Amino acid sequence: MTASKLLRHETILAVLTIIALAVLASLSDKFFTAENLLNQGRLMSEVGLVALAMTFVIVTGGIDLSVGSILGLTAILLGVFWKNLGLPLPLAIAGALACGTFAGWVNGFIITRFSVPPLIATLATLALYRGLAEGISEARSVRGYPEWFYVFGQGEILGVPFQLWILGIATVVSAVILGLTPFGRATYAIGANETAARFSGIRVHATKLWIYTAAGFVSALAAVIFVSRVTTTRSDMGTGLELDVITGVVLGGTSIFGGRGTIIGTVLGLILIQALKNGLALSGVKGDGTIVVIGLVLIGAILIGAMFDKNRGG
Amino acid sequence: MKKMTLGAILGLALMSGSALAASAWTGGDDLPTSPLACDGTAGASAAMPYDGGSPTNPPDRKGKKITVVDIPKLIGIGYFNATTKGILDAAAELGNVDAKTDGPTKANIDEQITFIDNYITSGVDGILFAANDPVAIAPVLKKALEKGINVVGYDANATPDARQWFVNQAQFNGIAKAMVDNMAAEIGEEGSFAIVTSTFTTPNQARWIAEMGAYAAACHPKMKWLETVEAQEDNNLSFNQATTLINKYGDELKGIFGMTSVATPASAEAVTQANKCGTIAVVGLATPNAMKPYVEKGCVKSVVLWNPVDLGYAAMHVLRAVADGTLVPGATSVKAGKLGDLQIINGSEILLGAPYVFTKDNIGQFDF
Repeated sequence: MTASKLLRHETILAVLTIIALAVLASLSDKFFTAENLLNQGRLMSEVGLVALAMTFVIVTGGIDLSVGSILGLTAILLGVFWKNLGLPLPLAIAGALACGTFAGWVNGFIITRFSVPPLIATLATLALYRGLAEGISEARSVRGYPEWFYVFGQGEILGVPFQLWILGIATVVSAVILGLTPFGRATYAIGANETAARFSGIRVHATKLWIYTAAGFVSALAAVIFVSRVTTTRSDMGTGLELDVITGVVLGGTSIFGGRGTIIGTVLGLILIQALKNGLALSGVKGDGTIVVIGLVLIGAILIGAMFDKNRGG
Repeated sequence: MKKMTLGAILGLALMSGSALAASAWTGGDDLPTSPLACDGTAGASAAMPYDGGSPTNPPDRKGKKITVVDIPKLIGIGYFNATTKGILDAAAELGNVDAKTDGPTKANIDEQITFIDNYITSGVDGILFAANDPVAIAPVLKKALEKGINVVGYDANATPDARQWFVNQAQFNGIAKAMVDNMAAEIGEEGSFAIVTSTFTTPNQARWIAEMGAYAAACHPKMKWLETVEAQEDNNLSFNQATTLINKYGDELKGIFGMTSVATPASAEAVTQANKCGTIAVVGLATPNAMKPYVEKGCVKSVVLWNPVDLGYAAMHVLRAVADGTLVPGATSVKAGKLGDLQIINGSEILLGAPYVFTKDNIGQFDF
């Protein structure tokens, strides 16, 4: 697999994204302003963070449907640790992050230890974690956090939303890990051919366990940012998040069968979707119309990808 | 044996439930309740100072054409179609308002925030909203106020300082009284009932349930609450939840309260399909069109609501009055076109009127 082939889908996507940005900018003069773009960055941070880890998951040929539920559970635990158990807020945040990470580890454990297909395992934990969130919260919201906590979701550093910095750092870190380290190569190898990877001496189970645990961690991180942004916890937070995340990753060229995909592609996919949602809304297209366009773009991008695959002769 | 175990579990559940909170039914909120008198004499409402927010340096909009966007909890359901109709009617009547409705297709607070955020960027003059969560929506509404946009809520409130005015479709204790009185009339003073709601944290539903609990405790103390179940605002889920209740409680269940315009017809359908028409009463909030088949068959006797077309209509008039500067903090009433003068209550809320009970005799006159 040469670099040029690897970049092919990403190149098409980059061109597509630039065209979309240009068209949207011409449709509404409110779209291509620094304020709007930074604000959109704020809105896509939670989905973006989770999508980075999801790229690893899908590259191994797996899937994690429970990320939205982990987000909901972590949000609730944050509130419960702080309000009901009376922990100091920093400790409550750390505790909630640990629990979210553990929830991800449980996914990985079930998948690797009992050889349950990831789709089934995380479908089960999707229900389990959401159920726990609703049960633990007793359907009460936790509100009234101290002012400093809102920095994560509403604050700015040098004029850029706080969570966009986190997303930026996480993007660089995950791009380096996936693209340049032995861990990243192991991830691709598992997705391309798990048996071959095992016989090549790659620690398949350990690698997968790390990846699902990381997915739990970023979902928990997204939960803290989300709670800070909306100033309250609800047990239904993050419902349907997994679909937005997977859409971004797949649009970014990651093969759902594993073995192929890049962080750059995922980031481009996310930007394209967010730009379409925002730009179309600003140019007067209603919500239902926007969903239709996103569906069409997704199908179009996959068809183009498939065409290039054919040209390559499989 | 099975029944005994079930009974024991139920008993335990009830005991632990009553240990936690003395009066509250699950799904109610923690705020203080103010049940109306059993005979319906109106209580005196204490005057409160204005507690709403105010936009920062709004441009002079008096008499000028304004662009207004309405962002309900979700679009594509009968109830919010009706409020939209009211908003458009009022906009057409006023002649100087360009109004449209847009919003998420699911009652999802994340998406609703994004919609509002985008419309703030696009530069509207006014925002009408029905909140999916009173606190979560507050930061984005405050942002709208900071940009000089007029913000008026209807149907489901936000924290007061995040919006200017809120059109209250009916006071919570008024609806609660109508619901519980009608249920008591149908199933008797000692009947048992269950509640199908949207989610336990949806502000309106939580408030009504809390008020219903308080009113029932005061005026119908022998009625027995069994359980409250969540059904989002999802037709299929509501039907399944109501069916589960019917199977779970058997003959003990005499009535079901539907707390949303989706849950009530779905509960009526569940009762119909279980052949329990006449033995299980359904009392609830719903739009008349959805309930006509059940009311006309006699399966459902009372549907409690206000007129959502009037609600949207009033909200639009209030927004125009705020933009024009004719409705200011401290006012005691506001003119709302054909509805006449509406009373201002609780500091920054506008009361639409008393709730309306649709029955077999009058439901045919309504089409929404």
